[in-house]
Amino acid sequence: MLNRIIRPVSVFLVLAICLLNFHVPSVQAQMIGTDAVIAGQQAANQRAQVADFLAREDVILILTQYGVDPVEAQQRVTSLSEEELSSIANSIDRLPAGGGAVGTVVGAALIIFLVLLITDIVGLTHVYPFVNHPR
Amino acid sequence: MTPKDYLTESNARPSNAVIDDVPFFPQDELQCGPASLAMALNWSGVTVEPSDLTQEVFTPGLKGSLQNSLIGSARRHGRIAYPIAGIDALMTEISAGHPVIVLVNLGFSWYPKWHYAVVIGYDQIKEEIILHSGLTAGEILSFWTFNNIWKRSEYWGLLILPPDRLPSVVEEGKWLTAVTGLENAGQWQAATTGYASALKRWDSSFIAWMGLGNSKYNLGEFNSSADAFQQATRLQPANGMAYNNLAHVLAEQGKLDEALLAAQYAVDLGGPFQDTFRQTLKEITGMKLYKENQGKAY
Repeated sequence: MLNRIIRPVSVFLVLAICLLNFHVPSVQAQMIGTDAVIAGQQAANQRAQVADFLAREDVILILTQYGVDPVEAQQRVTSLSEEELSSIANSIDRLPAGGGAVGTVVGAALIIFLVLLITDIVGLTHVYPFVNHPR
Repeated sequence: MTPKDYLTESNARPSNAVIDDVPFFPQDELQCGPASLAMALNWSGVTVEPSDLTQEVFTPGLKGSLQNSLIGSARRHGRIAYPIAGIDALMTEISAGHPVIVLVNLGFSWYPKWHYAVVIGYDQIKEEIILHSGLTAGEILSFWTFNNIWKRSEYWGLLILPPDRLPSVVEEGKWLTAVTGLENAGQWQAATTGYASALKRWDSSFIAWMGLGNSKYNLGEFNSSADAFQQATRLQPANGMAYNNLAHVLAEQGKLDEALLAAQYAVDLGGPFQDTFRQTLKEITGMKLYKENQGKAY
């Protein structure tokens, strides 16, 4: 029983420690990036750099859990700012993900179908393309 | 509520407008994100099919596409992704010829049907919004219905623009954030254009000069990079960042004495990046020593 818990936990810890060892950026002679210029004081210190790095790792992990290819997840994260990433890291289960209503007619239970049909006719919703709305 | 309640009259705006040259791509199931983005990208001059974008924006576990994924994908194609909000901003941009991707909830909060569409026109007299949506090109919705489904996303809209085209109503900070996103995506040429456009509007923007310098540096255009950082040092003489970056460019050009001066100056100014400034100074000092010793060997 205990083994079942210890094994995944220790695997996770080993991974986490490896990540910390190899990827935390050290101070280098480098150009100050434009995003750092925008962030000004905040992103200046190393702690913020580490936080930024961890946020990116978080989002990559989350996206991977939601079925995105790991290499692609890395790419997506690269083109976003820390602020843009934090919304994904903090609330992916509550973020709207546009997928469209194709298939709704089949999927909806009868009562929901009727409610949405009426609200569609009134113009509160727009689930069914065949409903004409009031002008 | 009448439509007038959520509509500010604007004399500067025509009473109706339609953008004719937005191509339509019917969406596959769940693929309204890639379809909408493809329409906007093609309008902006990027030739791309919705299926090419699925990999970049669609999240299988969510059965949909996140807003930030659309933003990131647009940047990877060298385009500005500029979020807007509200019907007023929407119509202003449409009348300027800029199509707008909108996130709407076709259902209710308790039965959400999140959906992306591209608004291509409006008519204030007929009180209609015209959009490419789902399987329908040029669908017409009443202001009333459109407002109902759009307000559930807090009126989220997204402009996809070539980097030399500012939105009709534009904030400096938001534009620069969008351009920096191009840098992060490695789109240095597009970023350069974006900063140059910013500087046409706000010629004393420190961030824009810094960004221009950084982008030119990454393109290997060291002369114009150095010029940009020089401009930045003039705008904020007490900020070491511009001197630090200038030092790197000068070193790259082989002007080690000047580079050393700039690096030393950055260290003297200090500030939150002083550790980086010191490393820059150390590195360039090392380069100079190496060069001098090399000279002696002959």
